[in-house]
Amino acid sequence: MATQVKDVIIKADAPSTLLLDKHADYIAAYGSKKDDYEYTLSEYLRMSGIYWGLTVMDLMGQLPRMNRQEIIDFIRSCQHECGGFSASIGHDPHLLYTLSAVQILCLYDSVDAIDVDKAVEYVKGLQQENGSFTGDKWGEIDTRFSFCAVAALALLGKMDMINVGKAVEFVLSCMNFDGGFGCRPGSESHAGQIYCCTGFLALTGQLHLVNADLLGWWLCERQLPSGGLNGRPEKLPDVCYSWWVLASLKIIGRIHWIDKAKLRSFILACQDEETGGFADRPGDMVDPFHTLFGVAGLSLLGDEQIKPVNPVLCMPEDVLQRIGLQVDLLS
Amino acid sequence: MAETEGEVDVLVQRVVKDITNAFKRNPNIDEIGVIPCPEARYNRSPIVLVENKLGVESWCVKFLLPYVHNKLLLYRQRKHWLDREALVDITCTLLLLNPDFTTAWNVRKELLQCGVLHPEKDLYLGKLALTKFPKSPETWIHRRWVLQQILGQLSAVGRGSKQQQHYGEAEQPEAERSQQLSDHLSRTLHQEMKVCSDAACRYPSNYNAWSHRIWVLQHMAKGNIKVFHDELSSMRLWVSMHVSDHSGFHYRQFLLKELSTELSQTPPCIPTIMSSSQDQSSTVSRSSSHHHSHAQANGELPGAEAAEEEERQLGCTTVLQLFHEEMELCSDLIQSFPGHETLWSHRRHVFYLWHNLRKEHQQHCSSNGGVVPGQLKDSDSCPPEVGAQSSAGQGESVNGQRHASEPMEVDGASLPEPRDSKRLKRGVLLPGPPALPSEHSFVSGILERCSNPEQRRFALAYKKWLDTVIDREP
Repeated sequence: MATQVKDVIIKADAPSTLLLDKHADYIAAYGSKKDDYEYTLSEYLRMSGIYWGLTVMDLMGQLPRMNRQEIIDFIRSCQHECGGFSASIGHDPHLLYTLSAVQILCLYDSVDAIDVDKAVEYVKGLQQENGSFTGDKWGEIDTRFSFCAVAALALLGKMDMINVGKAVEFVLSCMNFDGGFGCRPGSESHAGQIYCCTGFLALTGQLHLVNADLLGWWLCERQLPSGGLNGRPEKLPDVCYSWWVLASLKIIGRIHWIDKAKLRSFILACQDEETGGFADRPGDMVDPFHTLFGVAGLSLLGDEQIKPVNPVLCMPEDVLQRIGLQVDLLS
Repeated sequence: MAETEGEVDVLVQRVVKDITNAFKRNPNIDEIGVIPCPEARYNRSPIVLVENKLGVESWCVKFLLPYVHNKLLLYRQRKHWLDREALVDITCTLLLLNPDFTTAWNVRKELLQCGVLHPEKDLYLGKLALTKFPKSPETWIHRRWVLQQILGQLSAVGRGSKQQQHYGEAEQPEAERSQQLSDHLSRTLHQEMKVCSDAACRYPSNYNAWSHRIWVLQHMAKGNIKVFHDELSSMRLWVSMHVSDHSGFHYRQFLLKELSTELSQTPPCIPTIMSSSQDQSSTVSRSSSHHHSHAQANGELPGAEAAEEEERQLGCTTVLQLFHEEMELCSDLIQSFPGHETLWSHRRHVFYLWHNLRKEHQQHCSSNGGVVPGQLKDSDSCPPEVGAQSSAGQGESVNGQRHASEPMEVDGASLPEPRDSKRLKRGVLLPGPPALPSEHSFVSGILERCSNPEQRRFALAYKKWLDTVIDREP
């Protein structure tokens, strides 16, 4: 009888070894033709795109290949008067790109290149009365932004500038009966939001409020026969969910609940042997986003060719050690 | 075909104008798309308008997008001035091609704020963008901001502020104005439901579309039982045809939760089901005290305690019925479409909601001692006469129709636990609510009769969930 489970089938000739050099070449060359139409289309998230590229290069020990000064100058020209950062020059500031900017500067140990106080003020100003955070001055509320806020402040050592208790209260109000989290109270549980909320609770030292067994169960049910992970029931597996789900499991101390070997072979199968880089699933087009989460996922699974990655911030552990930021996880 | 910068300039300006004119010629455009067309036809516009469909030939997109994109950014950096009309046209073109370009939406927010753009225009633009990009997060986010503006305007008009004069209306009688407002709100609400529906059809398990739908109800229909009830009814067929759509089923869980909260609360909210749309104006201001005073304005007489009690029972009955129907629907679908995780996930949610509601009620009603709590308390040990559980013994169903046959209780051998002899015989015959023993029977029935490995896996997982999550709780 045909099974109806939505999944992919990994072909026998799919990549099964890690092609780190190819990925480094792919990222190093990405965006070199800046007139590319596709590049323009994605300019609205450029700061995050740079963070993805640099982080995966650093995880592979290849950060020196990127143009440090050019990037730092770019970041400076993206800080607005309000203190927030935009995705690219001329775009409007937003919390998402403020976090990415701070993360990049941490990679480069150059936080002092920007006006830190102004940046903190921007983040603080986005907190609402109910503890939630808007993404920018226009008012959209989402638990992703709670994560962005505390992550940025934690990296800057300024988490005490916001009302942490209230922020926690709001995130908890987004916890669902299945142990998962959605974007707002009453929203469907979603692996990406779960990552943001467990990461948030880790940063604020409130992981004991998570029902680790219940949530862990929901998360490990994301693993499909192919070994890949999806983000919600009956969705296809996607390498980026292999990060959101895996990191969440690591944060709540239940990473051993999934089949690591099968996940690893799924992630490896998402590589493109010719172009380098990872796609969302085997055979699709690669991009820097999936490349980062493929490599980061492999790191979490214990691949020794890759630097250890921090599951909360998705940055190399050695960077956080240098900063002196320690985040406790559940065991 | 190499184009000089000057040529590109002229070409793009013409294209932007063509797009603007297309909308002027046909205000009913309802879909956008790119027409695969690698080369320009001599001297013909790449903008194609056929019936209500607007197409852009693909060859021009690679010129068009970077040009308008950069033009907007130059404006944003104060390096190049654009008048309001140009801004409207350029952002429109940009967002139809790249609706996740947040800054372009923000430019339109500013135009809206200074009155150059009407909010309805952006709802329309967003709707069009969603026909091609049904998930676009920034489109949904902008939509919520626009709706907040509209709600704010309606509130202000409702309070009889100066804005009324701004619209050039003479003083209206309060009731008429109130009716107009609630009509407007109702139209906007239903339009949003349609936009969400369309987007949900265009992309399976569209998280952004469904979470927007929930947001709209939370902000524009708070406490409005009729709307929630209608939504639950109208979505029934849709989810039956989209049994993998986890977001669609989650929406029903949300509706059930809201309904059970409203219907089992005191003071009663039942009047809203029976009264006119006038009640919808209460959603503009969201305070519950306004809601209650409205209920009183509906003519609750003194000595309404007995009526309140009756209404509360009516509310509880309705809740029971809703949960019963939902579990029935779920059982039908599980049997008709074996091996769908979404359906089993839905079962968990619905049963959990019901289980919790019953617990809360026992605590609440035991201090009041009405008829209702007794019925609810017994439900644990009382298998239903007809209901979801009886279908569990059927196994195969034809086209989702249950065979009329004997309830499972008769066939005692297949039941793992001894059935209580206590049955729900007193008073009004309520439909049997889902209960733990009957859920276990349902699972056993599935396992016995179904050979689909995925179905068995999900059934076992559900059983484990019942044992772990439900049974463990006091």
